Amino acid sequence: MRLAGQGLRVKIGPFNVCIQTRVLPLVNQLYRLYAFYTLVESGEIAEFHVRIVPKHSIRRPFARLIQFQVDGRSPFPPIPVEQALATLEWGVNLAIAMRVNHLLLFHSAAVERNGHVLLLPAWPGSGKTTLCTALIHRGYRLFSDEFGLMDPQSGNFFPLPRLMPLKNQSIGVIRDYLPDVVLGPEIPNTLKGTVAHVRPPKESIECEDKPAKPRWIVFPKWIPDTKLRLEFLPRSEAFLLLASNAFNYEVLGETAFDAVTRLVQGCECRKLVYSDFDSALTALNELTNG
Amino acid sequence: MVDLGTGHHQLLLGALRDPPSLIARDAREWELLLRLARRIKLLGFLAVELEKHGLLDQIPVRAANQLRSSLIQAKKLQQSACWELNRIIWALSDHEIPIIVLKGMAYLLQGLPNAAGRAFVDLDLLVPKENLNQIESSLLKKGWRHHALSAYDERYYREWSHEIPAFVHNERGTEVDIHHTLVSPLGKLKINPLLFWETAIKVNDEGIYVLSPEDMTLHCAINLFQNNELSDDLRHLLDFHGMLQFFSNKQPLFWGKLVERANQLGVGRLLFYGLYFSRLLFGSPIPDNLEKQLNRQPGWLTRCIMHSCVPLALLPLHPDNPSKWAEFARLFLYLRSHWLRMPLHLLLPHLIYKFYLSFVSRQKKASTLRDK
Amino acid sequence: MSQWRSSGFVSLRIENWDGEFTVFQPESGKTHFLNEMGLRILAMLDQSPATLDIICRDLSEHFSLQSNAHFSEQIARTLHRFEALGLIAKTNIHM
Repeated sequence: MRLAGQGLRVKIGPFNVCIQTRVLPLVNQLYRLYAFYTLVESGEIAEFHVRIVPKHSIRRPFARLIQFQVDGRSPFPPIPVEQALATLEWGVNLAIAMRVNHLLLFHSAAVERNGHVLLLPAWPGSGKTTLCTALIHRGYRLFSDEFGLMDPQSGNFFPLPRLMPLKNQSIGVIRDYLPDVVLGPEIPNTLKGTVAHVRPPKESIECEDKPAKPRWIVFPKWIPDTKLRLEFLPRSEAFLLLASNAFNYEVLGETAFDAVTRLVQGCECRKLVYSDFDSALTALNELTNG
Repeated sequence: MVDLGTGHHQLLLGALRDPPSLIARDAREWELLLRLARRIKLLGFLAVELEKHGLLDQIPVRAANQLRSSLIQAKKLQQSACWELNRIIWALSDHEIPIIVLKGMAYLLQGLPNAAGRAFVDLDLLVPKENLNQIESSLLKKGWRHHALSAYDERYYREWSHEIPAFVHNERGTEVDIHHTLVSPLGKLKINPLLFWETAIKVNDEGIYVLSPEDMTLHCAINLFQNNELSDDLRHLLDFHGMLQFFSNKQPLFWGKLVERANQLGVGRLLFYGLYFSRLLFGSPIPDNLEKQLNRQPGWLTRCIMHSCVPLALLPLHPDNPSKWAEFARLFLYLRSHWLRMPLHLLLPHLIYKFYLSFVSRQKKASTLRDK
Repeated sequence: MSQWRSSGFVSLRIENWDGEFTVFQPESGKTHFLNEMGLRILAMLDQSPATLDIICRDLSEHFSLQSNAHFSEQIARTLHRFEALGLIAKTNIHM
C-alpha cells in the first residue's frame, strides 16, 4: 500500500496532495471515498504533504489517538482515531487556505451549469454544503463546496472537487433526498458536531481540469417552512460579503480589489431564501438556463 | 563533524548560494527544496532571486506558484509593517520622540538586497527609555492595546526585561515591539543603548532613524547568537551575509569599522560566530584573518561544539526523516540562549513555566483554527 | 483651531455602486466602504482644507440636512475615524 509507505499522491483539482498514514480505519475509508481521484504523474511536484500518525497521550493512556501533520508540523491537538478522516479533510483545507495566494480564495461553494459557474458564498446559516450536494446530484458539476478558486488575471474559476462534510441534521436531510449518494461514516463529537463526508461524483472529478467563467452569485439562506424567495442583491452588498469572507482578499491587496470588482460587475447577484430542495432547484435552474 | 554533506542541506544551500542553478533541478528535488525553504521562511527570498534573473517562468509551474504565493504574502506583511509605522508616527506626532527602526522594517528602509522577499510580522522599534511611558499612554489612547498577557508574562516584561509588552492595533494585525535596549537587561552582555543613538542614521524628518551599517550588522549577529534559539534561523544568517556584501561594496572601510565597533561594544564573540558561519554556509567573501582582530574570541573547545551544533540548528530538519542528533543540537542551543539571557535563579522557573504554557496554548490555538 | 486636509486622495481607487463606494487605499492595503456623505468629505478636503464648521455647512446644504449640534458631533466623530484610518489629517492653524 502506498498510503503506508512513501504516501499516496493524489491530484485534487489544481493541487497535488501526498497523504501518508498507517491508521487502518482511515486507509479503508480513503480507499472508498478517494476512489475516483487520479494519481499524481511521476515528474510532478506535490504541494501538500500530510500525515495522520498514531499518538500516545500521558493524560489519556487508554485512548486511541491520532494527529494530523502537514510537513511535519501539527496544527491540531491529538484526537480520537474515529475522527481521522474529518481532521485530514480540515487539515488539507487549512493548508490550502494558509498557503495559496496565486489564486483568490473565496469562502464559497461553486458549481457549474451550462458552461458557467454559480457561486454560493458562505454566510451564517447558508447551508452551502447541503445545497451544493443537492445541486451536484441534479445536473450541476461540482467545483467545490468550500473554496471558490479564482485566477485574478483571467477571471477563471478552477474546480477543487474535495469531499464535502455534511453536518448534523443535513446528513439525514441528504440521505432522505438523495438515497444513492455515497457517504463516509458518521463521525460524532467533532468540534462541528456529527460530520459525514459526501464523495464527489465521478463526472465532476473527471472534469477537474476544466475551468469556467462565473456568471451568477447567489447567497443562500435555509429557513424552515418559508416560501421560496429569489431576490436581487445590491452589488455593493455582494462585494462586501464576498471580500470580507474570502480567505486571502487582504493578502492580494489591489489585485483582489480589481478582481472582486470585475467579478461582481460581471455576475447576476441574488439572495435565495429556501426551505426545500425541489423549489430551490427549480428557481436556480431558471436562473441558470441559457 | 557537521554533516553538511547531508543531501537535503546541500540542496538548500546550493539554492541559496546560487539561485539560478535551480533551473537544473528536477521535480523530486524541487519538491523537497520547497518544503525545506518553507520551513525556514525563505520561499520569498528564492522567488525574488529567480524573478530578478527572469527565471520564474522557466521552473516547474507548481514550484513557481508556491514561490509566487509566498512572495505575495511577504509583500503584504511588508506593507502592513510600513503602514503600522506610518500610523505609529501619526499617533506619536505631538511628542517628537526619536525612533530607531530595527530588523526587517529597517532592512526595507535601507534597501538591503534580501529585504524584498523577506516575510516579517513584527515592527521592532528602539526608543529612549525616558519616553516609554509617554509612548505607552499615547498608543493606548489611540487604538492600540497590549497583546493579551498572563500576569506572569506581564511581570516578565515589566520587572525582569524592563520592557513594555508588545502592542497591536485593534483593527490591524502587525505586532509592535517597543524596545529601549538591544539586549536583554538581565543577560550577561551589557550594552549602553546611547551608543547606538550616537551613530544612528536619519531616514526622514519625522524622527525616524536606522542603525549605522556596522551597528545593523552587529545587531543581526547579536540577535542570532545571543537573543535567538537558532532553530530554523538560517534566514537571519542569510540577512547577515547579505549585509556584509551590501555594506562592504558601498564603503571600502566597512570591515575595519565593523571590527572596531564590535570590540568597542564588547560583542567580538558574536561577530566572530556571524563571520565564521556565514563563511562556512554561504561562502561569504570576508577578508582573511578578519576575526583575528576581534576581542573575546571563543576558545577552541567552544568553537568545536558550536561548529558541530549551529549548522544543525540553523538548517531545517529533513521533513520526513529528522535526525536525532540534529534535534539534540537544537535543544542544547535552546538552553544556551536562555542561559545567556537570564541569571540561573530566574531562568529555571521561566523555562518550566514556558514549557507548560506552550503545551496549553498550542491546544487553544489549534482549536480556534478549526473553528474557523 | 484645527483644520482637516485630505491625505493621499489621488492615490485612492474608488468604485461607485449606485451611491455606495468601495475605496481601496494602496498605502494601507485596506478597502473601505463609504456612503455618499463619506466620499464627499474626502473629495471636498482634497479641494481645500476646511474646519469642522465649514464641512458641516457644506454637507447640510448638499444633502439638505438640518445642521445642529448633534449633526456636527457625528461629523466630528467621522473625521476622527477617517484620521485614524489615514484618509485625512489634522493641521493646526494659528490665528
